[in-house]
Amino acid sequence: MLGSLTRRRLLSATGAAVALGGGYTAFLPRAAAQSAPREVRRIAIMTPERGTDMGWNQAGITAARAAAQRLGVQLEVAEGLGYPDIRPIMRELAANGADLIIAHASGYNNTAFEIGVERNVPVAVVDTPRKVTRPGLVVDYTLSGHEGAYIAGALAARKTRTGTLGIVVSGEPPSWNSQSHAFAQGARSVRANIPIRYAVIGPAAFSDAPGGRRVAEAVIAAGADIIFGQGNGATMGMLQAITTARATDGGQAWLIDVIGDKSQAAPNHLLTSVLWDITETIIKMVEDIRAGRFGSRRYTIGLADGSVRLLRTRHITDAEWAEVEAVKQRIVSGQVQVPYVADAAAVRALMSDVQAPAAR
Amino acid sequence: MDALFTNAFLVAFVSGTIAASLPLLLAGLGEQMSEKAGVLNLGLEGMMLVGAFCGFAVALETGSFLLGFLAGAAGGMAVAAMMAALCVALPLNQIVVGIALTLGMQGATSLAHHVLYSRTFPRLPRQPEVALPLLSQIPVLGPSLFTQNPVVYLALLLVPAAAWLYRATNIGLNLAAAGSKPAALDLAGVSVTATRAFAVLATGALGGLGGAYMANIGAGLFVPFMTGGAGFMAIVIAMLARGRPAWVLGGALLVGFATSITTALQVAGFNIPTDLVLMLPFGTIMLVLTLFGRRAGLPAALGLPYHRGAR
Repeated sequence: MLGSLTRRRLLSATGAAVALGGGYTAFLPRAAAQSAPREVRRIAIMTPERGTDMGWNQAGITAARAAAQRLGVQLEVAEGLGYPDIRPIMRELAANGADLIIAHASGYNNTAFEIGVERNVPVAVVDTPRKVTRPGLVVDYTLSGHEGAYIAGALAARKTRTGTLGIVVSGEPPSWNSQSHAFAQGARSVRANIPIRYAVIGPAAFSDAPGGRRVAEAVIAAGADIIFGQGNGATMGMLQAITTARATDGGQAWLIDVIGDKSQAAPNHLLTSVLWDITETIIKMVEDIRAGRFGSRRYTIGLADGSVRLLRTRHITDAEWAEVEAVKQRIVSGQVQVPYVADAAAVRALMSDVQAPAAR
Repeated sequence: MDALFTNAFLVAFVSGTIAASLPLLLAGLGEQMSEKAGVLNLGLEGMMLVGAFCGFAVALETGSFLLGFLAGAAGGMAVAAMMAALCVALPLNQIVVGIALTLGMQGATSLAHHVLYSRTFPRLPRQPEVALPLLSQIPVLGPSLFTQNPVVYLALLLVPAAAWLYRATNIGLNLAAAGSKPAALDLAGVSVTATRAFAVLATGALGGLGGAYMANIGAGLFVPFMTGGAGFMAIVIAMLARGRPAWVLGGALLVGFATSITTALQVAGFNIPTDLVLMLPFGTIMLVLTLFGRRAGLPAALGLPYHRGAR
């Protein structure tokens, strides 16, 4: 016979285990499932920096505005939030009636998940470790412009004078890893043994402009005359390095940017940019909520529907652009497969091995 | 790998070390003075940010880097004046006020950047450099160490100047007394409030100068949050330096070297996890803290407000 104290302890322990288990499983990825359809009248987007950065933040806010206009829904923008505790802001957005909150920063993903569940509001997050979703409430919309990065790599390999390329990133989130990998593959589809110098500025150095400049200068000094830069605010430091440093052959260096168009900030040094348009992604999110299938599928962007494209600047000749278009057609037709490789170790292995096979 | 041992890369490596070290040196020397006087200045990060913004804005508008650096120092001092008013004159809790100032200045500079520069992202041209005669001819070290912006030489000269100030002047003695035995200083007829306020303002000037260096020389532009915790690293370096300016220089160079070597290792293509490589600067600080932290020897009244006549 168990004493009453022991019974109480057992009951408490069992209750705690059930509660913990329930709480844990609530955060596990689940199989695709239907959820109740909901009406969407108002969406909100949260960004760590202002929507004028010509990059990630601007792309998110611009797309949200375009999507809201096309869908006829209201939009609330919370920008320039940095990386503090975003719980109060999310609760306020939910209280204001947001039917979808887009947490547009990898640093927001855990908290956004938590508040989405707490307030029963659908949220979209990026860069969760295992692309966590929860039908009806949470979707991971980690995107990648790797098809565009492949073309940029091919262009860079044709354009380089020194015969060496560089990649500088301010972190290693999945989307940037996949683009770094694709850039290297694209370059090696043109020149199989081309050396590629790869450097990460810091663990999450998205605003580290001095670091961006310092690392870009080191990569240029190591022989690269074209740098594929992925860095948010740190990209501005890379632009400064490209502007002030000379390549090892004495000529000018070039930057290939991602997501946004910075040609206004550096008209003479930006070779091209892998542009993203995530308007359709946001529209699909709203449609999925309305159809009761939010969180049951992944979203992608690519060359085929124009959501990823290469920026044409005046520094790309007609012949080079024709080649860009040709590679694009081969990718769209499926003749060239560009794998999505999000693992940082795979990216690093590719950089250190100049004999790595090119995708054909 | 061979390509990395070229002159160009080694020059970039040493220059990178200096670029990463100098803001830490300037801010660390400032923090050291503040701590000597008994004020733990957690607002240093905010002072650096304001210095960076003011330095950049003035250099951009006037085209003068000298005015830019002066504005950076003035901006840092303006934030320091708030710190002095709240923590020395009133005196409120130094930790709370310091953190509040840092957070406030992050927001203020971010807002100012949004209003003025967020649509154009202007950049400064390459800064003027002074080549030291003969020394600048030395291979690798000449163009990297001895061809620098004047503010670099000024920062290096500040190290012996600060050591002399602490060791051989009444000001140095007053600062030490304000941090260790403020009541004794008061009894001697010297104002503890004025001594501490002087130290905090000097910290602001040096922190602002460090921030201006980051914006005007390090990056050539300003972006929000660009100091990235450098102020807090400078605080740790100052604490470990045990009141010795030369140790601040050593600590700043160590962290700068560790920061620069992370790039070199990656560019060289060593296939080791980037996370591990990027831990080097922080790991270095933690190692030094572990080895020497216990002997840090901080002033007895550090962080304590001084109330005249209180027991």
